[in-house]
Amino acid sequence: MRDISRLVVVLALFCIFAAGILAQVYDVTKGPIAEAKAEEVRRAIRAVLPQYNNKADEEFIDRIIGKDKKGNDIVRRVYVGKREDAVVGRAYVVVAPDGYSGNIEIMMGVSPEGRITGIEIVSHAETPGLGAKIVKEETWSGKGDGPGGLVGKTLANNLKVKKDGGEIDQITGATISPRAIVNAVRQGLEFHGKEFPG
Amino acid sequence: MNFVKEFTKGLWKENPILRLLLGMCPTLAVTTSAINGLGMGLATLAVLICSNLVVSQLRKMIPKKVRIPAFIVVIASFVTMVDLTMNAFAHDLHKSLGLFIPLIVVNCLILGRAEAFASKKPLLGSFVDGLGMGIGFTLALVVLGSIREVLGNGTIFDVALFGKGFLPMIVMILPPGAFIMLGFLMAGMNRIDKGIS
Amino acid sequence: MEANRKETAAQEETKAAAAPPKKGEKAKKPETSSDAFILSASPHISSGESIRSLMNDVILALVPGLLVGIYYFGMDAVRVIAITTASAVAFEAGTQRLMGRPVAVSDMSAVLTGILLAMNLPSGSPWWICVIGSAVAIVVAKQLYGGIGYNIFNPALVARVVLLISWPVQMTTWPEPKPFFQRGVDTVTGATALGKMKESLLLQGDLSGIADIRWIDPFLGHTGGSLGEISAVALALGGIYLIARRVITWHIPVSYLGSVLVMAVIFHQIDPNRYAPPMFHLVTGGLMLGAFYMATDLVTSPVTYRGMLIFGVGCGIITMVIRYWGGYPEGVSFAILLMNATTPLIDRWVKPKTFGTTVQRAGAAE
Repeated sequence: MRDISRLVVVLALFCIFAAGILAQVYDVTKGPIAEAKAEEVRRAIRAVLPQYNNKADEEFIDRIIGKDKKGNDIVRRVYVGKREDAVVGRAYVVVAPDGYSGNIEIMMGVSPEGRITGIEIVSHAETPGLGAKIVKEETWSGKGDGPGGLVGKTLANNLKVKKDGGEIDQITGATISPRAIVNAVRQGLEFHGKEFPG
Repeated sequence: MNFVKEFTKGLWKENPILRLLLGMCPTLAVTTSAINGLGMGLATLAVLICSNLVVSQLRKMIPKKVRIPAFIVVIASFVTMVDLTMNAFAHDLHKSLGLFIPLIVVNCLILGRAEAFASKKPLLGSFVDGLGMGIGFTLALVVLGSIREVLGNGTIFDVALFGKGFLPMIVMILPPGAFIMLGFLMAGMNRIDKGIS
Repeated sequence: MEANRKETAAQEETKAAAAPPKKGEKAKKPETSSDAFILSASPHISSGESIRSLMNDVILALVPGLLVGIYYFGMDAVRVIAITTASAVAFEAGTQRLMGRPVAVSDMSAVLTGILLAMNLPSGSPWWICVIGSAVAIVVAKQLYGGIGYNIFNPALVARVVLLISWPVQMTTWPEPKPFFQRGVDTVTGATALGKMKESLLLQGDLSGIADIRWIDPFLGHTGGSLGEISAVALALGGIYLIARRVITWHIPVSYLGSVLVMAVIFHQIDPNRYAPPMFHLVTGGLMLGAFYMATDLVTSPVTYRGMLIFGVGCGIITMVIRYWGGYPEGVSFAILLMNATTPLIDRWVKPKTFGTTVQRAGAAE
């Protein structure tokens, strides 16, 4: 009996000590982690919006875009970029559910008249070397092949990949990921037209 | 105690990956690029040294019967610290290593060294052992990650090595490539040993 | 013992050729476990040439399929066949030398692997794809596993899958077939029949994209695809020759093709707009090549008749599952490789009882 209580006490001391230290570490890193996450959002917004000089990541509007299976609202957070108090564009994340493996999260920027100002892939799990080319810089700067042609388009364009009869390039050898992105971005534009007309 | 020997054994003779085959899960999963291999290796190195030190220091305090749970608590604490620190100060690397940072807890290498070495040896020896083993682990991961990145992506540490015409062998950055390349590395190591003796 | 399987099978083959068994005593060979060969009474016919003659028979059986490939794809096909075969032999000799094994390229097994690999490649494959393919097949899939008789997976198929994953663009660029005398300089590329099927299902949601494909075209070979898989009839003829020569038995091809046929019939009945007609599935893709030449590989398939039937049905089901619901249009390679992995299990499962031991009933033992 003595033996068991000794084991318990030693283990408990270990755990208490570990918990205390971890609390300290958590406290120290909490700020930097939040900052790193915010910086991630800011970086994506900067990548997709034209020059703005407000704090776009803090000026946002939440819109309810549907309900999930449990009946909770799905909220889309729209970041508004302004320059001298005039709206230069809105940025928000759209999700392409039909990528080759799992969801593709895309940050897209749209100008007030409904023109795509930029696209940034936030997260994805596409096949390395194939579908994963969607995150490459060439794809979006218009130098490589792929759906880079999306930037600058409006709903007036035929926003589908060429294989589906539209005007956006797919990636050689990988149609599914660009198709998912193009479709999600088109829906994102429709959302913009509905929520922020003119 | 021969510190030089304790240090160098982890680099070659008892290399955790290529000789002891410990910690295969992160080895195979995250070595898709040199930088991932380096990040994973350094994270493990840090945890290994710290846990070796603490276990060695407390080895007389820990009753034999609960030594494994005690070791795990120590290791898990250090892993959480590394996880939080990397999330704060190396956010992108943390993101690309993902789940495999918390999984360092179950890396056999760390528990193995605590059980087989640090719980029996004094402080300085345990430190040297952890350093050698951790560096050996890191080196193996970086080599594996570099080869896979070069062959499978045409880059090393994200620097493009070849011209536009190079078509990388994608299978090398997929799971089968990890197994194949690991096998080749181990064979190469055996070959070198044979040549020496 | 495992190592000898191919050799013993080959010896058995020469024995069978030397003294054809009487009609009544069929189905004896593979039903005995391979231990039986070692324990069997003398005299034995042993021959260093047995693997070679076996391989030569298979290569001979592949000739019709190769000729159709060359007829439709021209000198490109000849080039691919020459490169894969030559490099396969070179890698075999090189690896055997490096690993200190006797160099045995004269057993023709590397030549056969090279030819099979070529038949699994598009005729327009660049030379380096052919060479890397041979390296993967011979060095990784064959010699690293211990050489002939030891490999778990079919070397040519391992190479094909590695290439397909690594260079999907090059590996799915299929030159259009054009009869030899009509060839021009420019090559047009197109999709395979199965590729068109998958695309049509994805875009239109039905099979309208393959409505204009008559089954007679892929049957004879006038279709896009790897250079050695296009003609179902030429491959089947070679396969029948192999069965007649007792190089392979009917079990795997028949159960493989049979299960594909059954699944195709059932699903075509359920929804003819989504599931193509049975004949389409039988003659397209790599099915004939796979069923007669790849799945029947003596080393990587079960040794008993019952095991072979299970193996064939497994291949058929996996093939159809991939064709119907998978990401890739064709599933023959993956199906055979997956079943290769189960071969030791199947062998253990259906191991015949040695004569003289008592049968243990379930529950009776305890």
